[in-house]
Amino acid sequence: MMDAGPRKGEGLPKLRDLLRRQREDSLSESMTDSPDIEFLYDDADTYQSEMSELYSYTEECEFALNRKCFEEGFKAKGYDKWTETSSEIRKKHIVYLQNELEIASEERRTNAVHAVLYLVQGVFGECSTLEDQMEWEHRNVHMLYEQGIFTSFVELLSFQTENGKAAANALIKPAVSLADSLDLRMILNVLYTMVETMRVPLQSETEEHKRNRELFTEELVQPYIGDSVLLVSLFVMVTKFCSGNAPHFPMKKVLLLLWKITLICLGGLKDLQDTKNKVRESHGLSPLPEDTYEVCKNMRASSPPASAVDLIEQQLPRRAFRGGKRDDLFMMKSSLNDDPFENGNDADDLMKDVDGIKPNGDDEQLPPTPPRPSTPTVPQYRILPWKPKVRQKDLELFLEHTRKKFVGFHVKNDFTSLAGLPRPIHEGVKVLKQHLYISLTEIQIKKEEEMAKNPLSKPEGEIQSTPVEIFYQELLPNLPQYMIALLKILLAAAPTSKTKTDSINILSDVLPEEMPTTVLQSMKLGIDVNRHKEIIVKAISGLTLLLLKHFKLNHVYQFEFMSQHLVFANCIPLVLKFFNQNIMSYIGAKNSIPVLDFPSCVIGDQVELTAEALENGDSQQYCWRNLFSCINLLRILNKLTKWKHSRTMMLVVFKSAPILKRGLKVKQAMMQLYILKLLKMQTKYLGRQWRKSNMKTMSAIYQKVRHRLNDDWAFGNDMDARPWDFQAEECALRACVDRFNNRRYGNNGTDPDFKPVDNCTQSVLGEDLELCEDFKQNYERWLDIEVFSNQIDWDQVIAH
Amino acid sequence: MMLVMSLTNLFREGAAMKMKMADGSTAVLRRNRPGTKAEMWSKWSDIAYEEMENTLAVQQYIQQAINKDVNDVEGILNQPDGVDEGVWKYEHLRQFCMELNGLSVKLQAECNPETCTQMTATEQWIFLCAAHKTPKECPAIDYTRHTLDGAACLLNSNKYFPSRVSIKESSVAKLGSVCRRVYRIFSHAYFHHRTLFDEYENETNLCKRFTIFVTKYNLMSKENLIVPILDDQELIEGESEA
Repeated sequence: MMDAGPRKGEGLPKLRDLLRRQREDSLSESMTDSPDIEFLYDDADTYQSEMSELYSYTEECEFALNRKCFEEGFKAKGYDKWTETSSEIRKKHIVYLQNELEIASEERRTNAVHAVLYLVQGVFGECSTLEDQMEWEHRNVHMLYEQGIFTSFVELLSFQTENGKAAANALIKPAVSLADSLDLRMILNVLYTMVETMRVPLQSETEEHKRNRELFTEELVQPYIGDSVLLVSLFVMVTKFCSGNAPHFPMKKVLLLLWKITLICLGGLKDLQDTKNKVRESHGLSPLPEDTYEVCKNMRASSPPASAVDLIEQQLPRRAFRGGKRDDLFMMKSSLNDDPFENGNDADDLMKDVDGIKPNGDDEQLPPTPPRPSTPTVPQYRILPWKPKVRQKDLELFLEHTRKKFVGFHVKNDFTSLAGLPRPIHEGVKVLKQHLYISLTEIQIKKEEEMAKNPLSKPEGEIQSTPVEIFYQELLPNLPQYMIALLKILLAAAPTSKTKTDSINILSDVLPEEMPTTVLQSMKLGIDVNRHKEIIVKAISGLTLLLLKHFKLNHVYQFEFMSQHLVFANCIPLVLKFFNQNIMSYIGAKNSIPVLDFPSCVIGDQVELTAEALENGDSQQYCWRNLFSCINLLRILNKLTKWKHSRTMMLVVFKSAPILKRGLKVKQAMMQLYILKLLKMQTKYLGRQWRKSNMKTMSAIYQKVRHRLNDDWAFGNDMDARPWDFQAEECALRACVDRFNNRRYGNNGTDPDFKPVDNCTQSVLGEDLELCEDFKQNYERWLDIEVFSNQIDWDQVIAH
Repeated sequence: MMLVMSLTNLFREGAAMKMKMADGSTAVLRRNRPGTKAEMWSKWSDIAYEEMENTLAVQQYIQQAINKDVNDVEGILNQPDGVDEGVWKYEHLRQFCMELNGLSVKLQAECNPETCTQMTATEQWIFLCAAHKTPKECPAIDYTRHTLDGAACLLNSNKYFPSRVSIKESSVAKLGSVCRRVYRIFSHAYFHHRTLFDEYENETNLCKRFTIFVTKYNLMSKENLIVPILDDQELIEGESEA
């Protein structure tokens, strides 16, 4: 390996890897469980990873093509280097390229597309470091945006998707390949890079760039061409692809773009919490009792359900052992960052630090030590991580129940009086009331019911056109089709699904025209294909969760509409099927080749790819995108089934418990939390035997999931008490959703008699009225008689 | 006041010819009535911008300035105080499109699909017509009509320009691409129908005004302004080339 002449930096990680593996081996011998996965959930991975995932490794050769196209054009104009010319010339060239994009000759247009792509890729040929490239990427994106290039590319995208020639070509071919989607991929690359670069500002963002970013976000919500917003055009592409009419559409890029547009326009999930608190405040509700992401961050993973032998071993002096282990781990990590042979020094410093108080003067004499994280303290949970909650409904049920027992009759609509109830019940009610949590959902449903009952006296009020609202309105007409299409692609990308001949082919944008001939090449392609599928799952899961969460906050029935169509399209069994795989190996999958990632593959010296390097993959402990997708999918499942009896029963019927339990092996608190939630809601129906043999899981639920006072999830046996009628429940929900959609978005649904009289002068006068010819000729006379000669007290008129 | 505003709304396009009836007796009727003589066309007395009391004052002001002296390009483009820049640009572009219809009517007589089969200016620029869903090389005269139609649609679109009093910044950003496309009509006329172009330009100074307008507000870059209409245009080109 060393003889083959790799870069120095390349050999080092190898060595570290080796060292680490040895340590890991020795650790796993002395420990019963592996360390927690250090994963922080975020809206997306790092900018670099998100950029590199846009390209498949088979697209590698196209980078050079972009560069060639740009440089030839730039040279032909008499300029030399982009990074060294004045901004005046740069601007001039962009304008020139923009003009070229509208030219009839296809060849010249394609050339211009390549050149612009090279610009948004950060003129990598003129950059020597990754930081340089990233900076130029940002500068160019902003400059191109200012010149209106984004709009030009949205137009180009619509040209290209409507281009019947490419589709017809792809349809008659036996196997669609990378070459069929070249034009579309180039355009989507430009759009994605611009969106993602705008979304993630540099730390040194200037005021001007910030303004651009805001303007850009605002623009994305508006329609570009004709009447459809970009989001809808992309969804249309997805459905077209799924119907088989356009097999050459590069789905991965379309889905990534969809996800990122949603992310930039609606904002991420952490921001959503703040927004939610603001909305709650405006409704006079208390803020959320805790920050989900903070709690998850501090939560430790439970060890997975283990065998009996392990259980005995764990009862050995565990506490002392754990402390040692954590330190050991920490040392290991810091030694990975520094020279492994300087361990002794580090330990010394550590001792000094522990000693603490030192005269100030000493500091200067000591060599500066690299900053290290302080010794991690193991948070001891003496309190529950989540504040228990009680719904209004639970309180009502409790009162009703106790009254029946102690007073003997039912008092309607009285939730305060405690007459005739014994002291302990008083106390119980007090505690329940303390934990009462009223959700926005309940308020929205109540308002909806009132509006349905009193269409005249309770008008809708003005609906603010926020980005979420606009997206919902735009998606509404074809939302069911969009959901089906997303799930179809998710199914095709799931690692467990077999490639059927009749199902859609999602690999047309990875597979090269000619299949690989050497072992190395086919290994590379194998990794590429798996990576491609993983990225598709990531984009779909991210997009779906984001839309569900945003719709939920905006209006619960928007959320219910989307989730019902997901359920109808078999989302629940699909996600379960996804988890019915070796989830540990999915989380640990190493389907990436760091040296081939953009932009590393075009900057600096290039290393020759060896089979060994391919086998080793990256040096990550886990695969970020796969863990991210898993958590998203679990959250989607939670969103769909929460408080929905019939859907929870689906989890039971599809035998989700063993599948979910296997997922607990992943030692990551957030992922475990969402699995435990799903288990909790169905525990009641799994039977005594299951609970008896899964006590460890039961206590993990108790420890990690929010408590609902009065909820007898662990002991209740009301299987017979609640009949399960999937049809009836979904129909009832459907009726509410339809009523909501009709009232708010349908123009023929409401009775015109119930509509308020339009007395706004602007809109009344703006209406198109057919005036007869007589009137048109004599309207001035009419004005004189009817308007000018009449004494009208306009103040009075307007006042009324 | 309410009445005046809503009435002008009713007669949108006739805004500049608004009736003034604040004090009845000395009402100046700013409107071309049926039967108006050619020499009397739009010949009513001027009114200061501050005194224009309606929602379409900016358009009225621009049209008044044009009627006053079509050669005073600088004067026409001189933005009065208190006018929102977005609205100013929007209203000017609207006016350009309206007047360009005059040029396209003239073009119709001599530019036909058989002779000018493509939208070209100099030989190396053949443009695609953006009015269609799929790229199409329309004949020059069709390109002209489609582009003007498209511009009119956009400028009157309720979605982008729901108001003519204040305009969203993201909508103002759309004006650049309208300018770029519309300008191609000038360049085609200049390079292929020179006599006609000169004749129209002498009458209206439209291309000159357009060129100064887009340069002043950075709506197009100098590189794309290929019609040498200004004296210093070549000079600018030469300077930046150096």
